[in-house]
Amino acid sequence: MLSQSVAGIVLESPLMLASGILDQNGYTMKRVLESGAAAVVTKSIGVEPREGYFPPIVSVFEGGLLNAVGLSNPGIIHIGTEISIAKEAGKPVIGSIFGATPDEFLRLGSAMEDMKVSGVELNLSCPHVKGVGAEVGSDPALVKQIVSTLKGSLSIPVFSKLSPNVSSVLEIATAASDSDGLVLINTVKGMAVDIYARRPVLSNMYGGLSGPAIKPVGIRYVYEVKKELDPVIIGVGGIETADDAIEYMMAGASAVQIGTALMKHGISVFSTIKKGVAEFLEKEGIKSVSEIVGVAVQ
Amino acid sequence: MIHSQILERIQETPSTVTLKFDWIEKVLPGQFIMIWVPGQGEIPMSMSFTGKPKGITVKAYGPPSRQLQQMGRGDTLYFRGPYGVPFTEIRGAKLIVGAGSGIASLLPLVDRNSTVMVSAKTESDLIYRGKINAKRIIYLTDDGTYGIKGFPDQVIKDVHPDDFEYIYVCGPEAMMYKVLLALKGRNDRAEFSLERSMKCGIGICDSCSIDGIQLCREGPVRGIGWLRESKEFGMTKLDRSGRRVRIEL
Repeated sequence: MLSQSVAGIVLESPLMLASGILDQNGYTMKRVLESGAAAVVTKSIGVEPREGYFPPIVSVFEGGLLNAVGLSNPGIIHIGTEISIAKEAGKPVIGSIFGATPDEFLRLGSAMEDMKVSGVELNLSCPHVKGVGAEVGSDPALVKQIVSTLKGSLSIPVFSKLSPNVSSVLEIATAASDSDGLVLINTVKGMAVDIYARRPVLSNMYGGLSGPAIKPVGIRYVYEVKKELDPVIIGVGGIETADDAIEYMMAGASAVQIGTALMKHGISVFSTIKKGVAEFLEKEGIKSVSEIVGVAVQ
Repeated sequence: MIHSQILERIQETPSTVTLKFDWIEKVLPGQFIMIWVPGQGEIPMSMSFTGKPKGITVKAYGPPSRQLQQMGRGDTLYFRGPYGVPFTEIRGAKLIVGAGSGIASLLPLVDRNSTVMVSAKTESDLIYRGKINAKRIIYLTDDGTYGIKGFPDQVIKDVHPDDFEYIYVCGPEAMMYKVLLALKGRNDRAEFSLERSMKCGIGICDSCSIDGIQLCREGPVRGIGWLRESKEFGMTKLDRSGRRVRIEL
């Protein structure tokens, strides 16, 4: 009832762990998978190790979370150990990668393929590091070149995670349309100031906003891109409940990713949402979760 | 972000300072706060005083802790918390083993039923000397400049750990791992406060994870039974970039 195939990757349910949350240590990813996630996406991995920004890297508020972790990662040659541990859970692991050029993305994507990941997710959208992420992902010609380079060389599925912080998401989605799927959306650029210290909270000043506050933005882009281009979409942004996941799927997502909800609900959020989606389908007399994908698109 | 004015600054040792401040929140022994030094950074700090007033004991490691040490009465502390799972508190006989600044998070547990082992590199690093109100205090230094020369795992059997209802341990991981081995046969009623690189404090960044659990949320205090099964404790940890490195024993 809940199993779903996304670009050829078979998932036991449409619920995946989003990149950037609890996905650096192999034992953590393994635990997340054993606790009910159908797949995990690793922290974004680059060519060289990066420590990321010095804390504060997060600022919590009622509607969600602001973060600027700064793409901390051990570098591509050291992530293999963690991926091997995560794969002990026997479920798909998707490797997230970031780079500045098509060559860098290719090098990272090929290395991920050698590590036997089920797919790669291109981070074309991190809002808080210069020269990569959204800076690459807001240039349609560069996005097209990166996607076609990887599609021409890799045999595993290639997903492109896009930013809402561009003047036209549709234009970038069109440029990335050779991907096996689009991941919509990354965080929304934001900021917090402490009024007593009278200065920005995050050490990087600017960060990315996630959590319930951005769900309507995510739903809108999933819907719009599904309606105009009809690609395979993985929805992400503010999913905390089964209703949120179903809403994303009805707007056009074939699967969803969950991240910030783990702050409030812990790792058990996957089994809670899974149960809620199954109950909804049963109550509504729907046989397979794939039947609800895009039903709201008019 | 919570903010509170410093009431008192106490120079504990040449390199360690206690800062006391008012905070009405209930905080339990073993819990910690994320303390923000604007312009310098944010670091996790165990609460060394959980009554009224509250307090932290700061050793200078990096820019935020060095700046904290310069602060005094009337200066403002910015922090969030309290976070983490506290120690299990009991009334009975306690053996408390603290090495280096590890003794800070154990201090709120100490009572007249406690035997406390305080271990430091050298005499001038021994914090709270003469201030710990326990049944018995055993001092150790690595270089023998004060108390017994040696490490807690070498002498713990001399105090007959089986006689204690509960054992609490905090300090460098190598020391805690050796104490775990020295307590062979004991699989419950002993708790260790662990440390990993901590960045977010709210269970999402994965920096402080060990064996799949996040120390900021499901730690830092873990039981001896769990630690005996751990694949990472005393073996490997991730550095600030996420690269797996060996723990030197």
